[in-house]
Amino acid sequence: MEDEEEGEPNLHVFKASSSGKDNNNNNNGGQASVQGVKAQAWDPRTMLCNLSFMEQKIHELQGLVHLILGRNGQLQDEQQQLITADLTSIIIQLISTAGSLLPSVNMLSTTAPGSALFPFPREANNLASQTLNNGGASQELEDDAEEGENLPPGSYEIKQLEKEEILAPHTNFCTICGKGFKRDANLRMHMRGHGDQYKTPAALAKPPTKETLPGSDAPMLIKRYSCPFPGCKRNKDHKRFQPLKTILCVKNHYKRTHCDKSFTCSRCHTKKFSVIADLKTHEKHCGQNKWLCSCGTTFSRKDKLFGHIALFQGHTPAIPLEDTKPSAAASSQRGSSGCGNSNNNAAMVSFSLGSAANANQETSQPCVMDGKTSFEESFSPLSFDICNFGGFPRSIFDDSFQMLISSACGCSPINGGVGSVSDTSL
Amino acid sequence: MPLSPSILSVLSEDLLVRVYGFLDPPCRKKWRLVSKEFHRVDSLSRTSIRILRVEFLPALLSNYPHLSSLDLSVCPKLDDDVVLRLASYGAVSIKSLNLSRATALRARGLETLARLCRGLERVDVSHCWGFGDREAAALSVAAGLREVRLDKCLSLSDVGLARIVLGCSNLSKISLKWCMEISDLGIDLLCKKCKDLKSLDVSYLKITNDSIRSIALLPKLEVLEMVNCPLVDDDGLQYLENGCPSLQEIDVTRCERVSLSGVVSIVRGHPDLQHLKASHCVSEVSLSFLHNIKALKHLKTLWIDGARVSDSSLLTLSSSCRPLTDIGVSKCVGVTDIGITGLARNCINLKTLNLACCGFVTDAAISAVAQSCRNLETLKLESCHMITEKGLQSLGCYSKHLQELDLTDCYGVNDRGLEYISKCSNLLRLKLGLCTNISDKGMFHIGSKCSKLLELDLYRCGGFGDDGLAAISRGCKSLNRLIISYCGELTDTGVEQIRQLEHLSHLELRGLKNITGAGLAAVACGCKKLDYLDLKKCENIDDSGFWALAYFARNLRQINLCYCSVSDTALCMLMSNLSRVQDVDLVNLNRVTVEGSEFALRACCNRLKKLKLFAPLRFLLSSELLEMLHARGCRIRWD
Repeated sequence: MEDEEEGEPNLHVFKASSSGKDNNNNNNGGQASVQGVKAQAWDPRTMLCNLSFMEQKIHELQGLVHLILGRNGQLQDEQQQLITADLTSIIIQLISTAGSLLPSVNMLSTTAPGSALFPFPREANNLASQTLNNGGASQELEDDAEEGENLPPGSYEIKQLEKEEILAPHTNFCTICGKGFKRDANLRMHMRGHGDQYKTPAALAKPPTKETLPGSDAPMLIKRYSCPFPGCKRNKDHKRFQPLKTILCVKNHYKRTHCDKSFTCSRCHTKKFSVIADLKTHEKHCGQNKWLCSCGTTFSRKDKLFGHIALFQGHTPAIPLEDTKPSAAASSQRGSSGCGNSNNNAAMVSFSLGSAANANQETSQPCVMDGKTSFEESFSPLSFDICNFGGFPRSIFDDSFQMLISSACGCSPINGGVGSVSDTSL
Repeated sequence: MPLSPSILSVLSEDLLVRVYGFLDPPCRKKWRLVSKEFHRVDSLSRTSIRILRVEFLPALLSNYPHLSSLDLSVCPKLDDDVVLRLASYGAVSIKSLNLSRATALRARGLETLARLCRGLERVDVSHCWGFGDREAAALSVAAGLREVRLDKCLSLSDVGLARIVLGCSNLSKISLKWCMEISDLGIDLLCKKCKDLKSLDVSYLKITNDSIRSIALLPKLEVLEMVNCPLVDDDGLQYLENGCPSLQEIDVTRCERVSLSGVVSIVRGHPDLQHLKASHCVSEVSLSFLHNIKALKHLKTLWIDGARVSDSSLLTLSSSCRPLTDIGVSKCVGVTDIGITGLARNCINLKTLNLACCGFVTDAAISAVAQSCRNLETLKLESCHMITEKGLQSLGCYSKHLQELDLTDCYGVNDRGLEYISKCSNLLRLKLGLCTNISDKGMFHIGSKCSKLLELDLYRCGGFGDDGLAAISRGCKSLNRLIISYCGELTDTGVEQIRQLEHLSHLELRGLKNITGAGLAAVACGCKKLDYLDLKKCENIDDSGFWALAYFARNLRQINLCYCSVSDTALCMLMSNLSRVQDVDLVNLNRVTVEGSEFALRACCNRLKKLKLFAPLRFLLSSELLEMLHARGCRIRWD
C-alpha cells in the first residue's frame, strides 16, 4: 500500500495486470489464486495467507542460495531451474495478491471522480473505468446537448489523469505476464497465447463500451479531461478552465506543453518535438519546399516568403546550399544505423537476466534522462518496445518476466516478441 | 625627309577626335594604323569593345582607358578562373557588360566581375542556361545596375529574381524573356520594389493576370513586352487601362487569350501610346477598335498581323493615324490593293511596311507605296506572289532610302526586277530566297550597283551560277552575311570568288554538292572574319578543304559539318586548331569513328558552348568528356 501511494513504477505493473486472471499452472499457485473475475472483493484473510506463503517461499530460496554460496558459488542446472521456478511463483503470487487489492480501491474512489485517491484509472482496465464512469453518471445527470467548446461547468464529468499515467506509453496490460499494449485489440491478440480460453469469440470480441453496456440505461454524462499541471489553462482549477476532449488530447497536450521536446528532427537537426507523431509529420516535409529568408525565418510556402520579403526592408530570400540534400541523406542513414544499435541493445537487455535485476535496483525511480533516451531509440519500428513508462526498469522487468514465464511455464517467447514488435509498429 | 611635316600634323587633337567620330568601325581599325597621333586619338575615344580573345583583355583595358562598354559574349573560354585572374589587375570603369552566352561563368566569377566593374549599370547575361539563383545573387552585388537582360536564363527562379530586385533597386530596364521559372510572385516583388522601372519584358512567361495587376502599378513604365503570355487575358489587360500612366509601347503579340477588347482597353487608357504591337491576337479590326485608335495621336507603330482587315477599315485606320511609320499587316486576310493604296496615301511617313503573305497585293499597291512613302526603309513582301518587275520598277525609281527588302518566295521576281531594285543604292539587306527566276544577269545588276549591301540571302535560288556569284563578290565588298545554300549550279570557280569578301562573317553553303576542298580552302583563306560557316551536306569537300579551314579560319565560332565527309584526323585538326569555335554540329559524319569524335571533342571541350551530336554517341563517348563538357556549360543536343 505504501509503495502504491508513492507511485513506484514497478508496482504499477503488478497492479495493472491484475484484473481478470487465473493462470497458475505452478505447483503452489492454487491456494493463493484469485478465483477468476468474480473474486474482486478484497479479503484480508486471503491476503495474509498469500503473504505468508510468499514469505515461506523466500525463506526457502534464501536457504538454497546460502547452500550454493557454501559451494563456491557453483550453480547446477537443476538448482537453477529450481530457483527460477520458485522466483516465478513468488512473483506471480505477488501480482495476484496485489491484484486482488485493486478493484476495492476503485470502489472507494468512485465518490470523487478523477481524485488523487486513485491516480491510475487505466482505461484499459475496463471494469475499473466502467465502475468509475457509472458512478459519475449516476451522480450528475445532464443532457449531453453541447459538444462544442463552451460546455457549462458541471455539465460534464471531469477526469484528471496523473502525470505518470499520461506519460505511460501503454494503457493496456496483460493480466498474466504484465506486458503493456497501446491498444486493447493488441492485448486481446496477445492474450490468445496464454491459453485457449482467450481464443473464444467472446474473449476476442471488442468489449462493450459505456454506451452499449446493457446495465447502464441512464444517459451518459459527457466526459472531459483536465491536465494535472497546476496553473495550466487546461487544469480544472484554472479560472477559465478549458477541458480537453479525449485522453489522446490530454496526452498530446501534456507532452507538448509540459514536457521537454526530446525528439530532434534527423534532417534539419534543429526542430524539436515532444510528440513522436509531430516529429514524423515534420520529417515528412522537412527539407522540401523550405523557403528561407536571410533573417533566418523559414516558410513552408513561397508566397509567404515573398510576402515577408516585400514587407521587410533589407530581407532577401536565401539560396539553399546545394549540399543540403546529401547531408540529409547521410544523417538519415546515421539515424537508421543508430536505430539498429538500439535494437540490438534492446534484444540484449531483454535476454540477460542478471543485468535486469541490477538495472531494476539502480533505476527503480523513474529517471527523466533514461526515459528520454529510450523514447528516442524506440523510434524505429524495428526496435523492441523498451520505451516504457519509467524508462528501463519497466521494460526490463517486462522482458525478463517474459523470459521467466517462458522458461518456467513452457510458453513460447515468440508470442511476446511478436506482440511487442507489432505493438510498436502501430 | 621631305614628308616629315605631314599635313595631318596641323590638325589638332580635338579636330581629329571629331573626324574619328564620323568613321565606322572598319575604318577606325585602319585609322589607328596611320600614326601615333591617330592611335592615341583612337585609344582615348574608344568607349566600347567586343573581344574574341579574353587573354588580351588586361592589355586592352590599359590601352583604352575610357572604355565603358565591354562585350565578352563571343569569348569562348570565359570562366570563373579567367575572371579571377582578371581581378588581379584591379578595378575598371566598365559600365556596360555583355556576358551573353558566357555559359561557363558561374556565381564566383560573376561576383568578382560585379565587384571589379565599379559603377556597373548594364549587364546582359542572356542565354546563359546555367545562370540560376546563385548567379543572380552574385550579380546583385552590383547595386548600381539599371539595365539587366536575363533572356533565357533557364535556371533562374523567383528567388534569384528577388535577389536582383532587392540588390539593385534602381533598375529601369529588365528583360525576363524565356525565364520559364519566373512566376507571378517574382513579378509582383519586382513591381513592388523597382518603382523606377521603365522597360519590362515578360515574354513567354507563365504569368497570369495577377502579374499584370502588379505591373499596372508601375508609375514610370514606358515599354511593356509580353509576347506569348498564354495565361493573360482581356481581364488582365483591363488593369493596364487604368495603370502605367507613362506607357508608350506595348507588345501583346501571340497572347492566345487576349482579344480585341483587351487591346481596346489598353488603347482607351493610353492616348499617348506610340507603339502598339498586337500581332496574332486580334482576330478582326472592328469599328470600336477603329474608333478608339483614332484617339492615339502619336501612334507610330501598329502591328495587327493575322487579323481580318477590310479595305475600308484600313482606309479609316490610316486616315486617323497619319503619323504611323511602322505598320505590320502580314497574313492579314482581306488586304488588297485598295487598302494598301489608301494606306500609302495617308501615311506618307511610313518607314517600315510588312505585307508578308498578303497574297492579293499586286504591283499597283507597291507602286503607290513607293510613290507616296518616299522615306520607306523596310519593305517585307515575303510570299506576295503577284509582285512582278513592274512593282519593283517604281521601288527602284522612288524608294531611294530603302535599306531592307524581303522578296523571299516571290517567284514573280526576275532579272529585270533585280535590275530595277539595284537602283536602290542604299540597300543593305536583300532577301531573294526561293526566287528561282533570277539568273547571273540579275546578279550582275546587284553586284554592280548595290555596293553597300551587308546581307544577301539567295537560299535555293537555283537559277544563277558561278558568274553571278563572282559579280556579287566583286561588287558587294561590305557583304558580311551571305546565304547561298542549295544553289545547285555553284561550283568551286564561283565559291572561290567569295574570298574577295573580306568582311564576310556569316556564310551558308549548305547542300552545295559541287564544291570541293579547293573552293573551301579559297574561302577560308580569304574571309578572315568568318564567324559562322554552314557546310551541311557539302559532301564533296575533302580533307584538304578542312585542313585549310583549320589553318586559316581562326575566328570561326560556329560551324555545321553535318553530312560532311570529314575524316578523323581532319576533324581533330579542325577542333583543336579553331581556337574560337563554340558551337558545332557534328551529326552524320560517315568517316568519323567514335575515337575520332572523342579526340576531337577533347581537343576543344573547354571552349564549346553548344554541340549537336549523333545520339548513339551518348553511350560511346567517355563519361569524363561528357562531364567536362557539362561542367564547362556546354549544352549537347543529341540527334
